[in-house]
Amino acid sequence: MKVYLDNNATTRIAPEVLDSMLPFLTEKFGNPSSFHSFGSDLMEEIEAAREKVAALLGAHAGEIVFTSGGTESDNMALTCSTSINPLKPGLVTSTIEHPAVLETAECIRSRGHPVGFSEVNHDGTLNMDSFKSLITEQTGLVSIMMANNETGVIMPVEEVSRIAHERGALFHTDAVQAAGKIPIDVRAAGIDMLSISAHKLHGPKGAGALFIREGIDIPPFMLGGHQENGMRAGTYNTAGIVGLGAAASLAAGHLLEEKGRTGLLLGRLEAGILEKCPGAIIVSAGAPRLPNTATVLFKGVESEAVMTLLDIEGICVSSGSACSTGEETSSYVLTAMGIGTEDANTALRFSLSRYTTGREIDCVLEVLPPIIDKLRKISPYANR
Amino acid sequence: MWKYSKKLMDHFMNPRNSGQLLNPDCHSEVGSVQCGDAMTLDIKVDDEDRIAEIRFMTFGCAGAIAASSAMTEIAKGKTLEEARAISNDQIVAFLGGMPEEKYHCSVMGQEALELAVADFWHRRDNTAEHLNSILREIPANLAAALSEGSIDIEHIHPVRVLIRLTGGDKEAVVAVLEKELQNRTGKKVEVMVIL
Repeated sequence: MKVYLDNNATTRIAPEVLDSMLPFLTEKFGNPSSFHSFGSDLMEEIEAAREKVAALLGAHAGEIVFTSGGTESDNMALTCSTSINPLKPGLVTSTIEHPAVLETAECIRSRGHPVGFSEVNHDGTLNMDSFKSLITEQTGLVSIMMANNETGVIMPVEEVSRIAHERGALFHTDAVQAAGKIPIDVRAAGIDMLSISAHKLHGPKGAGALFIREGIDIPPFMLGGHQENGMRAGTYNTAGIVGLGAAASLAAGHLLEEKGRTGLLLGRLEAGILEKCPGAIIVSAGAPRLPNTATVLFKGVESEAVMTLLDIEGICVSSGSACSTGEETSSYVLTAMGIGTEDANTALRFSLSRYTTGREIDCVLEVLPPIIDKLRKISPYANR
Repeated sequence: MWKYSKKLMDHFMNPRNSGQLLNPDCHSEVGSVQCGDAMTLDIKVDDEDRIAEIRFMTFGCAGAIAASSAMTEIAKGKTLEEARAISNDQIVAFLGGMPEEKYHCSVMGQEALELAVADFWHRRDNTAEHLNSILREIPANLAAALSEGSIDIEHIHPVRVLIRLTGGDKEAVVAVLEKELQNRTGKKVEVMVIL
């Protein structure tokens, strides 16, 4: 049995989404920017997709710029908005952002601009004191993710945006993991810019969007043709954009129902793990979290070893261990929360989706405990 | 998923010689700073300086667990000198190769073995030192047991010594030496005699 619980990495494309895309990969191959109607008619499809994405976010269609995905959206938001006001070139973000934000922030810093990385609390929530202390007169942008990809912790974006605005800074949020899982209202939350990615919500890879609130004028990121009002050059990825629109509609239509259903399955998984794997710890258990994400520390058992055995059984999860990627350090998110290397290396992340079934959860609860048990028996750390 | 060899997967899934030994002759604990792995090793050594029993405990990835298991298989039955010469490459080769990024996982097993052997020699030196000083001093109780006899050391193990006794009262000599060694080393050292 194949059990896919790595939906924060990527999701299965929804059949409805695929169906919506196929014509644009076959007969409707025109370029929407062409003069002839074979191409230009496709602009209607692009605009329809824009409406759907806007609807998911509570935005206007004119505020959506299509990109190649979450990474490009983050790069664009950070790079462009810190370059508009020479008096406010600074950025404040957090230590647990996605690398798309962290690396862009480092790049901005390398250009001599002030960049601050807010600390987080032990439960993975934003440390508000640290965050507030970093904002200065020079801060032009605050970028705090809506929900963390490893812990699932939901950040207080309304409060963060209020603080940013009080200090004269714009507010961007990376909502790649949150979109489609929790309701988003960019107006109510006071969000100026927001990144999303299609493939995290059952859409195709290589498509995403950046919401830019009306009235915010940032320079283009990608230069070239006049697509997207000159904001993002490059021939339209018609199939990808249509797929993103379909995925956004699908997510919006099932949001509350899925939030409840996924939340119940996650609760069942967590309760089962705690019962059958003594000593297991749910990371950020007490913090507000996405309904689909749980990171668990299996003390004394290195997660790469667990994942290798789960992989044999067809179970896909991911881990915070350095050994699973060949990198030199374990999860920077867990480390930022004050979790030591020894424990961070025992972290397994389970991320569910609307296609996750109770059978899959039961399968994990059957296969995982003996694996943990077996590895604990040969671990010198197991009884610490 | 790493591209692990069949043999590596077999050693990971069915680790040989895992666990701990009661009263091992030597012990080591190592950790890798790079990936936070850790390992303990227990060894029992026979009177020919060969590894008779070996057990490991490893906190680490599949590669680290397999490398630990492979190391114990290679080391078992070897003399301590031979075991100390086991290289990292030998462990990797035994497992039919390992992804390059995971090479550092195999280092831990080799390091643990080296440290355990050093621990054995240290413990033996300690026992030898005390035995030699007893034989140098010949305390009154030993002199009485030996009377006109003499002792030659045949073999020293941290918790067992083999002596050749010429003359003297065998049982009394053994009793005196065991008592003296116990007092001086703080542990039970068995004394065996060839006449």
